[in-house]
Amino acid sequence: MKTPQYFILIIAVIIAVTGILSIYSSTYQKEGKLWQEIYKRQMLWVVMGLGCFLAMSNFNYRRLWDWTYFLYALAVFFLLLVFILGVVRMGAQRWLRFAWFNFQPSEFAKLITVIFLAKYFSKKKADDISLSSTKFGLLRGVVLPFIFVAIPMGLIIEQPDLGSGLIMLLLFISLLYLTNVKLRYIFIFVLIMLLPLPLFWHFLREYQKERLLVFLNPNIDPLGAGYTVIQSKIAIGSGWLWGKGWLSGTQSQLHFLPESHTDFIFATFAEEWGFIGSIALLVLYYLIIRQGFIIAQRTHDHFGRLLAFGISLMLAIQIFVNIAMNLGLAPIVGLPLPLMSYGGSSVLVTFIALGILVNIDKTRAVF
Amino acid sequence: MRTRIAVFLVLCMFVFLGFGLLSLEVIQGRKNRDLSRKNCIRLLPQAGCRGRILDREGNVIIDNKLSYNVTILAQKLSELDNTLASASGILGISVKDLKAAFKKNYISPSVPVTIARNVDVKKAIALEQAKLDTPGIIIQAEPLRNYPYGKLAAHVAGYVGEIDRWRLTKLEDYGYKTKDIVGFGGLEEKYDYYLRQDEGGLSVEVDHQGRIVRVLGFRPPHNGKDVQLTLNLKIQKIVEENLAGKKGAVVVMDPYSGEIIAMASSPGFNPAGFAEKSSSVSGLFNDPSAPLINRAISATYPAGSVFKVIVATAALETKKINPNTTFICQGSTRIGRGEFNCWNTHHEQNLFAAITHSCNIFFYRTGLLAGAQAIHDYAVKLGFSHATGFELPYEASGFIPSPLWRKINKFKSWYDGDTANLSIGQGDVLVTPMQIARMMAVFANGGYLITPYITKEIDGKDISVYQRKAVRVPIKTSTIDYIRKGLRNVVADPSGTGNVLSGLSVAVAGKTGTAQAPPGQPHAWFVGFFPCDQPKYVICVLLDHGGPGYYSCVIAKKIIEEMTKEGSL
Repeated sequence: MKTPQYFILIIAVIIAVTGILSIYSSTYQKEGKLWQEIYKRQMLWVVMGLGCFLAMSNFNYRRLWDWTYFLYALAVFFLLLVFILGVVRMGAQRWLRFAWFNFQPSEFAKLITVIFLAKYFSKKKADDISLSSTKFGLLRGVVLPFIFVAIPMGLIIEQPDLGSGLIMLLLFISLLYLTNVKLRYIFIFVLIMLLPLPLFWHFLREYQKERLLVFLNPNIDPLGAGYTVIQSKIAIGSGWLWGKGWLSGTQSQLHFLPESHTDFIFATFAEEWGFIGSIALLVLYYLIIRQGFIIAQRTHDHFGRLLAFGISLMLAIQIFVNIAMNLGLAPIVGLPLPLMSYGGSSVLVTFIALGILVNIDKTRAVF
Repeated sequence: MRTRIAVFLVLCMFVFLGFGLLSLEVIQGRKNRDLSRKNCIRLLPQAGCRGRILDREGNVIIDNKLSYNVTILAQKLSELDNTLASASGILGISVKDLKAAFKKNYISPSVPVTIARNVDVKKAIALEQAKLDTPGIIIQAEPLRNYPYGKLAAHVAGYVGEIDRWRLTKLEDYGYKTKDIVGFGGLEEKYDYYLRQDEGGLSVEVDHQGRIVRVLGFRPPHNGKDVQLTLNLKIQKIVEENLAGKKGAVVVMDPYSGEIIAMASSPGFNPAGFAEKSSSVSGLFNDPSAPLINRAISATYPAGSVFKVIVATAALETKKINPNTTFICQGSTRIGRGEFNCWNTHHEQNLFAAITHSCNIFFYRTGLLAGAQAIHDYAVKLGFSHATGFELPYEASGFIPSPLWRKINKFKSWYDGDTANLSIGQGDVLVTPMQIARMMAVFANGGYLITPYITKEIDGKDISVYQRKAVRVPIKTSTIDYIRKGLRNVVADPSGTGNVLSGLSVAVAGKTGTAQAPPGQPHAWFVGFFPCDQPKYVICVLLDHGGPGYYSCVIAKKIIEEMTKEGSL
């Protein structure tokens, strides 16, 4: 059964190539060699990502089970390192500088958290092969895992990277749900998370408050915080049915749209490829995620099953939040669109995650 | 179960995004496409020049000059303060004023903001050279109305300024836009459609910093059409110099064609102030001496003794008197219950002498014989009580009372005293200097009522052929000849009221008038034509509350004197 492997690989490559085309379109006329070669770097990342994909798809995912705590410790270590050595860009300290590239530990931390939670919840009872999480009480089912999630999450939010932090929270809640923790515990947890929200407001940074207010009404500050949403909506909307054509999107070509090659790559794409192209892209993304769910559902190993669900959900939530914020349907948080946005860490992590997914399906036969 | 719900929820998320796309790209697509075009397409207007105004020989009265405006493209507001500070040093305007101007004219970050208008050329060059210290400053050249003679012919030409709301609503369909420069008053308003330039421009694609990426289209601007007047620049200058410092109006006209040779009104105003948007012009609107009013056509005055010419015509034509009819002037006479005075005691007067001496008693009697209605009818035939059909806007129609009008509108009877008042051009009589000049032209040209006009050519095309033709007034030639002789005598006779004009090398005929207008001094009239035998010009001088008619005669004399010197005769 090699079908899902190629299926996922082909779709991922199509999306990644579309991403490179859009990155090229939004940056090729910018001044400076760095800007004009950015698409080449992305190509390199995608090639490296494909390497990771192939490696991970042939690497038995059960080994991750053994390495979980090591990986977790590594993630927390890098997140702490960011605070000490991190590169500050656009007001946030999210990157670690390596030889010739910037490395974003929070991207890896997301995946590692998923692995950690999958392991935590897939521990079996001694007497029985069913999952122990169904019988977990409030403490073991919710509080304890949350403490483990809260450590990297807190570090990420402090960077500040509210988007990735909230994604982790959402992932945590959805995995709680999928692992059959009692519903009422989940409700209690969600309630506890929601109650201090008004208080939480005061801990937000000024720009985050602005972004939330602007989400409610972009026109309160059309040249400041609201600018990006307005331009993004104009870019997507002006695509119409068929789009303006590749390299002809005025919003991204003439730089009205900020961050058009990273977080707002979808707007760049939608402007040039129109409604038809955007819907096609959505379908491609959905097919990958559906494939992930199918793999999860036919895997009998609890760890593999939860891991597959976790990876699919991680991708689904990121894709949803990113596109929704491009459409002005969600507040703006710094979150890349997996496989399309420019950024090495994101591309590598996504390909690694997809590699793990494929491997889970391959290894299934062993059991 | 839980997995199925989760899978379903994820599907819902994607469907939700799909609907979001549908709404934004398809349903609101047109609106968003427009918004994206507005983002990146700019129109850069390129102004042409407004048409020039020339005199009858083609000399320039009003043309255009280049003015330099300092504009600022404020992409980065943080740099604004530095830019304004260094610009203020060169311009000599305080930073505070520049900031206020910036705030007032700011539209959006991608549109240049004008911070100073009509800057000196040297300062403009200095600013252009100091570009490194003043990023974002752009010097824009713009054609501006130029008035080489200052106030000269200001009332005839009018002034230019930004279009007002009333005109905009009226003219929108003809391609006028907000902030357009249009004419106000005079020719600038009347022929604005021809004078105005056809604005051209570039449509360009710009990036987010407003930098031009490429030119999408270009339409060259076209200059406005020149308007050539019948005015004679030399005579206009003479007239205005002589009227300077007084309040009043002068009209010099060709008695055969109706061409206006000179037209002046005083006090005047400098139209350059309007073109340059200077703050001093606002005072003009509240000035009690009404400098913006063209007194030659828009102001009405009692006619005074000048009106006696009409009374004489009416009485002769209705055969109520003949040239030999005499009345005895004893200084005053009783009509009805009132005592009516003459300004002197003239003893025995026939028509000839009465015109010469402007005897009131003779005309009271004559007027009573002819009747108020006949006087009114002949006044209307000679062009009073309605606008002359002159081209310039805001012409007043004046007024001549009649018994019927009195009955219908005031519910009062008409008495002999009213007829007496009408006979000497007092009472409710109101006329414009232009009407008086036109009436005099009838006697100068032998009985034709002409329509005065001032525009000879527009864009090189002779438009005088479109003017209304002269109309024969139903007055016998003998009557006209007789009155002409009387008018000549006013000047020629040593005891004539206009005798001061007799010393000129050219024979002048005319009539003086001292129109009572209490409170204050009477209005001084002189209207005449010269040379007497073959008239070339009709001249009408009015001094608004300027005293007895003698003063107008003096001004007319000076004007004619200088015209002779200039060789205009």
